[in-house]
Amino acid sequence: MTFDTNDLVLSLPLLFLTVAGIVLLMLDAFSRVVLVGRDHHLKLPAETSEAVAVPPPGSRNYLMPVTVLFLLATLAIIVWQAGSLPESTVLIYRGMLQVDRFGLLVAGVCVVAATFGVISAPSYMRAHRMEFGEFYALVVFSLCGMIILIQAADLVTVFLGIETMSLGAYVLTGSWRRSPRSSEAAMKYFLVGAFVSGLLVYGIALIYGVTETTSLHDIKRIAMSRGTAPLFYIGWMLLVVSFAFKLGVVPFHMWAPDTYEGAPTPVTGFMMSCIKVAGFAGLIRLLQGTLPMLARDPFTGWTFVLSWLAVLSMSVGNLAALKQDNVKRMLAYSSISHAGYLLVGVVALGTVGDAARGPLLFYLASYALTVVAAMGVVSWVGCDERGEERVRLSDWAGLGKREPMAALLMTVSLLSLGGFPPTAGFFGKFYLFQSALGDDKLLWLILIAIANSLVSVYYYLRVITAMYFREPAPHPATTPMQSSAMKLGVLVATLLVLAMGLCPSWLSSLCAAAKF
Amino acid sequence: MQQLVQNLLAVGLHHYLILAVVLFGIGTFGVFMRRNALTTLMSIELILNGGNLTLLAFARSHQDMRGQALALLVIAVAAAEAAIGLAIVVGVFRNRHNTNIDELNLLRY
Repeated sequence: MTFDTNDLVLSLPLLFLTVAGIVLLMLDAFSRVVLVGRDHHLKLPAETSEAVAVPPPGSRNYLMPVTVLFLLATLAIIVWQAGSLPESTVLIYRGMLQVDRFGLLVAGVCVVAATFGVISAPSYMRAHRMEFGEFYALVVFSLCGMIILIQAADLVTVFLGIETMSLGAYVLTGSWRRSPRSSEAAMKYFLVGAFVSGLLVYGIALIYGVTETTSLHDIKRIAMSRGTAPLFYIGWMLLVVSFAFKLGVVPFHMWAPDTYEGAPTPVTGFMMSCIKVAGFAGLIRLLQGTLPMLARDPFTGWTFVLSWLAVLSMSVGNLAALKQDNVKRMLAYSSISHAGYLLVGVVALGTVGDAARGPLLFYLASYALTVVAAMGVVSWVGCDERGEERVRLSDWAGLGKREPMAALLMTVSLLSLGGFPPTAGFFGKFYLFQSALGDDKLLWLILIAIANSLVSVYYYLRVITAMYFREPAPHPATTPMQSSAMKLGVLVATLLVLAMGLCPSWLSSLCAAAKF
Repeated sequence: MQQLVQNLLAVGLHHYLILAVVLFGIGTFGVFMRRNALTTLMSIELILNGGNLTLLAFARSHQDMRGQALALLVIAVAAAEAAIGLAIVVGVFRNRHNTNIDELNLLRY
């Protein structure tokens, strides 16, 4: 039994984030609180007469820059590690985690997206009277889970990563405790998520039973040499289903629109971008990294299963988004359809091979940044005097006159989601479909994907026309957020989206080099 | 006759696996059929226990400790999950004085 201290250095981003989360939690615990007798925030039953300690308004704002600093430091560690990494994959902690360029790139994308999510949080929380300091620690702990999942080399760490990531997300979803919508969203998300973790455990147990191991590398070796048993098929099918639930893929999506709509907007942005990115990274490791030999079987191979999931996800997501009157819910359905496009990329990984991984990573990065930028604008548009979010299309009418900057940034994000040049979304789709064309048999899937992205243009443009060409209500009840940090964050995110569209080569070469 | 009784009494790997499938099935049935959030939580615990029992049975038959370790990890995670789940149920109850999941219908279209 030896312990290699090199492991600690190689897992530095994870360790640093863990410590950062604990520090944030401590900072919050030792910050000022005031005692409130009859608490309006928590809606305690009337008979409760004891005073409750709550943070005074604005007293937790300083945690945001601290968190952003921690996240930027993590990003610096990741960049430094990527520079000094050996060519081949390094297994650490006795084969529990693997450090490679693929994992570091995806972790970097998650950290960047989470940073933009955190920046818009304080003003949103203040406007909706839900200030609490644990928010930042929870985001950081959830990120730790994502990094574990992204770097997982063993089914144990896959499970641990998914759970750590989700536990943080459940609490964040329900964190606006005064709002029945937020707690309802958390309840739906939690019940589905906990059920899925049961499926995941059972699937892992079956795979362990057949292969006598939980290490992904050993499973690959055994499946190649010995072939596979029926129990093994059931096991990996359960794993695929649980990932499909987590990623909100049709027909396992019923929680997604409700959860994304009910959660506080910065949390929605965080979940839509980071959890999707981390989940897809885990799926890529499980399918392409571990079971490449099962990809092409005619009816039981995973490319067959995933291509149908992709078709369903794209079509149902887009059709449901067409009739949404609520911008947040529309973006939720659009994220379901984007999961479908991403699945096309995973299918291409199975048939075309390693060449398709770069485009898929590019799409993930462009989607994550675009969606946080869009969610930042949704927070920016603000709330009415009762603290209700203004997310209806009618609330957004005339936004181009009232808040020209917000409308402009939202336009860029929506164009990127719809896949227009010169934004990141255009090159994301372009590279993805181009790589999938490497296999002629995927032509039908690409045609469906292209038809779907044409349909999606309708509902993205609907928001843009509402912002610029519809007359606003005479007395708009909306008070936009006046936080310069949030505005700066959204602006930087949108500029990154534009930069990725104007010179995509730097990121695409980075993605193409991300091997495992 | 005696042979038959002996066969029935000899508990092997398959008995454990079948029991685990039954637990998993009861849990899944409960998740889809019961309407109270707390009952759903209990059903989810049954599913997790089904998975754990499978892990332990295989670990025993493989003479391998990794399955046992994973089962312990699952128990720890399930405890954390139950804590958060109960907190969410309390949150919903404070807002609506009800935990029936059919009546959670604020978020629809």
